[in-house]
Amino acid sequence: MKNKSSQRTAEAKKEKLLSLLQKHGLNIYDNLDQGKFPQFVIPSRSVNNIVYDKKLRQYILGNANAVRSSRNMSQLRSYTQLAWLAFFVNRLIREGKSSTLRDIYYSSQAFSIDFEDQPESDNIIVDLEAVTLSPREEFHIFPEERSSVFGDLTIEYTVPGYEGKRMNLSDHPDGYLIGPSLSSAELVDTSAELVIAIEKGGLFTRFVEEKVHKKFKSIIVDTAGQAPRSTRNLLRRLNQEMGLPVVILADGDVYGEHIAMVIKSGSANAAHLRELTVPDAKWLGVWATDIEKYKLPTIPMTESDIKRIYDLQKDPRYQEGNWKKQLEVFLKLKRKAELEAFSKYGLTNITDKYLPAKLEESKSF
Amino acid sequence: MSKETFSQISPSEFFYRNRDLAGFSNPTRSLYTSVREFVENALDACDQKKILPDIHMSIKAVDPEQSDPKHYVLTVKDNGPGIEPKHVPHAFGTVLYGSKFGLKQARGMFGLGATMAILYGQITTNKPVTVKSCADEKTIDEFVMLLDIQKNKPVILKHNTKEASKTGLSVSIVLEGDYSKAGSKIRDYVSQTSLITPYASMTFEDPSGEKFHYPRIVKEMPPPPTIIKPHPHGVDVETIRRMIVDTHYQIPAVDNKMIDKAKKELGLQKKTLTTKDILERAQKRWTDLSRPVRTILAVMSFLNVDFDGLQKIRIDDIDVANKKITYWDFGESQSHAVELDSESPYYKQLANTIQGDTLLTFLTKRFQRVGPTTAEKFCEFAKLKPERRIGSMTNEELVRLADALQKFDDFLAPDPSCLAPLGEEPLSKGIMKFFNPEFASVMQRSASAYSGFPFVVELGIAYGGDIPTAGLKVYRFANRIPLLYDEGSDVVLKIVNEMDWSRYKVKGDPPLVIVSHICSTRIPYKTVGKENVADRPELERELKNALQYLARKLAVHMSRKGAADMEKKRANLYAKYVPLISQFATELSGKKKEPNYKQLIKIGSEIEEQV
Repeated sequence: MKNKSSQRTAEAKKEKLLSLLQKHGLNIYDNLDQGKFPQFVIPSRSVNNIVYDKKLRQYILGNANAVRSSRNMSQLRSYTQLAWLAFFVNRLIREGKSSTLRDIYYSSQAFSIDFEDQPESDNIIVDLEAVTLSPREEFHIFPEERSSVFGDLTIEYTVPGYEGKRMNLSDHPDGYLIGPSLSSAELVDTSAELVIAIEKGGLFTRFVEEKVHKKFKSIIVDTAGQAPRSTRNLLRRLNQEMGLPVVILADGDVYGEHIAMVIKSGSANAAHLRELTVPDAKWLGVWATDIEKYKLPTIPMTESDIKRIYDLQKDPRYQEGNWKKQLEVFLKLKRKAELEAFSKYGLTNITDKYLPAKLEESKSF
Repeated sequence: MSKETFSQISPSEFFYRNRDLAGFSNPTRSLYTSVREFVENALDACDQKKILPDIHMSIKAVDPEQSDPKHYVLTVKDNGPGIEPKHVPHAFGTVLYGSKFGLKQARGMFGLGATMAILYGQITTNKPVTVKSCADEKTIDEFVMLLDIQKNKPVILKHNTKEASKTGLSVSIVLEGDYSKAGSKIRDYVSQTSLITPYASMTFEDPSGEKFHYPRIVKEMPPPPTIIKPHPHGVDVETIRRMIVDTHYQIPAVDNKMIDKAKKELGLQKKTLTTKDILERAQKRWTDLSRPVRTILAVMSFLNVDFDGLQKIRIDDIDVANKKITYWDFGESQSHAVELDSESPYYKQLANTIQGDTLLTFLTKRFQRVGPTTAEKFCEFAKLKPERRIGSMTNEELVRLADALQKFDDFLAPDPSCLAPLGEEPLSKGIMKFFNPEFASVMQRSASAYSGFPFVVELGIAYGGDIPTAGLKVYRFANRIPLLYDEGSDVVLKIVNEMDWSRYKVKGDPPLVIVSHICSTRIPYKTVGKENVADRPELERELKNALQYLARKLAVHMSRKGAADMEKKRANLYAKYVPLISQFATELSGKKKEPNYKQLIKIGSEIEEQV
């Protein structure tokens, strides 16, 4: 099931970003040449400017903008940092090199751009994301956290030295890290009909062992807790480019429910970014109602668990349907169940019984 | 029962026994105090005669190989008026001999210290003092003397006279001291003295041979203080009693000189008249006679003696209240008492003389700034009759008088002419030369008074320049003497510490110096050590006002400096960042040549307000 129109998507994205960066460069250049103070217009990321867009089914930034001007002495330093980052990212992309958030913090020192600490440089990275409306992964800047993928999916690398090389992601049973090379690879071909995102590495291994990828013709993705952006982007591409439905399995608690929600409709932190959401993704479980239905062993919620429920109840996305209902049941139960709880009924209970039942049930969502 | 013996001790012996009080408690302190006493005497002497002081001092170890404490030779030489040779032995060989008993500002009081230093030197080393003095620009007299402590008398060991051309005094003593410990204080003392005495040139040679020279900074001397009468608020019962004794017309000593004077006034040089004839003659000329002569004639009338007879007796007491004259007859070697006839025309004369001035006259004549109107108002306030003779006042009345003098509020403020502040210009020049600051300002407050003692506060502030960035430092002076010890409890420090310096744009450990100079006829020292000034409210107020005034000036300087610094900072920032932005933009835009960004650096540094 290959979507022809989406071929060479990664390459196209790269070209688009590079030309955007160059446009910014030219703008700064011309300003300097004319004796004008260059400035960046950055969409404001303040709480007041983050709104939920029902049509896009994700959080987006409003119309408020902040201007960072080199004319303002107190902004001159951070303006220069932002200009440097654009310059540095341009080099990274052109040279096909990747780096981490920490790398950026240290790289700055070679150019007499001193960040006081890593949070300061991380912030500038988010600024550039907002200016270019692109996630940092496209800048070849990756966080340390990694999640993995396994299943019949053929990819074609675009990273230097591997250009054109293809690879099937079912050859290694531990799965493949969703790192820079995989994130920038073209998705070529797959026989799978489903993507199962699962919160925990332990269950991911169980699913591979139990051949869930074969039994359910699926690609299995370990989100390793809250899914990193590169993982969310991969899920989106699998959904959009390869036309695969995405289902999510997470712990039976308020955090698990929210992991599913973030994959589906993004987070407020990334409101300036698009293409990180899978609006049609389905949350399979574990629901609060499943806890009673499947008689799962539970542990009591902590105070912070309960506070989190109250917080999410204010979120516009939890105002209706199953999302709203499950929160209410969690609040009523004041108990939670992990994915491993199914092991009470045998290690394969989750793959043999629960998963098929929920997949069946999900068809009616 | 044991018998107690009472014996009188001489002042020298008293000071010898109580040398701790005068600052001679140990070799370290003694060396420091000796330096102070001699230097201050030298400066005072020059001030009095309006001579620009030129002071040389040296401290030399007798045996440099020895370890401290050891014997040192301390020499202080000045270009002052010198002391007449005949006064030298007493001035330096007797305790309590001096000319500083008037009421005016001077560095030392009474001139006790120098003799104490000599005494201390003699006690610790048994070496004599050497004094060289030239007072007439012709000859210089050198005395080598010891002090006879029991007799309070100088013992001259050597005296010679040589030719000289300049006046001046040089005193040299040998004393036990500890320069390794006292050295830093002595050097501080000399350097700070040069700051508050910018019209003096000072040189100090320390035991290692190192010379510290402080040249004269200003050539004009501040106006000298004048001796004035006391202010009513500044006297106590004992002072009043002493003043009244002075006011009593002394019964003149009847010697040949006085008799010649009386005969001359009566026109009797050649004639010898009887008592009766003399008195008759006196009646005719009464108003032309001087008071001592009138008194003598009154006594003659009561005792009924002539001039010869008068010479044979000594008048011991004239008791007006009991109408009695007591006298000693040398011929008979016994005392006699004679009744005074209150009807006699001479009685009033004698009574007035003995009983002294009226209270009104006493107040106006003996106190500063008291006129007849104020005096009368005061008498009413004190419930004392203005025409009351002060000599006849009872003890209770005197106490009431003293009490009322303290409490009466309508006296004018004390006369500050007895004070000698340094003046704003010399102080300012001294500070500039001494600290080389980027900013300095000085202020002299007008005279004020506490408890009847006038005082003037002079304050200076200096910032930046050569002053180290080590926090605020206070240099305290009182009557042109540096105060080096007991800083913590001083009133000036209290005021300085109470200031909210951040309001005056002074932050952190500023390179800030405050110079305070308090001038008064009596500095309200907290302790005998005379190193810290007490917090009198009047003094606090003056210090505070002066400090706030100066701090405001400093704040103006700081904001100007702040604006200049800001511009500089801007220039630096743009010079640093614009080329970087240019470098990044050039590569980012794919251009080969960098843009012309120079103009932007210039514009950037000139922007005054932030966006």
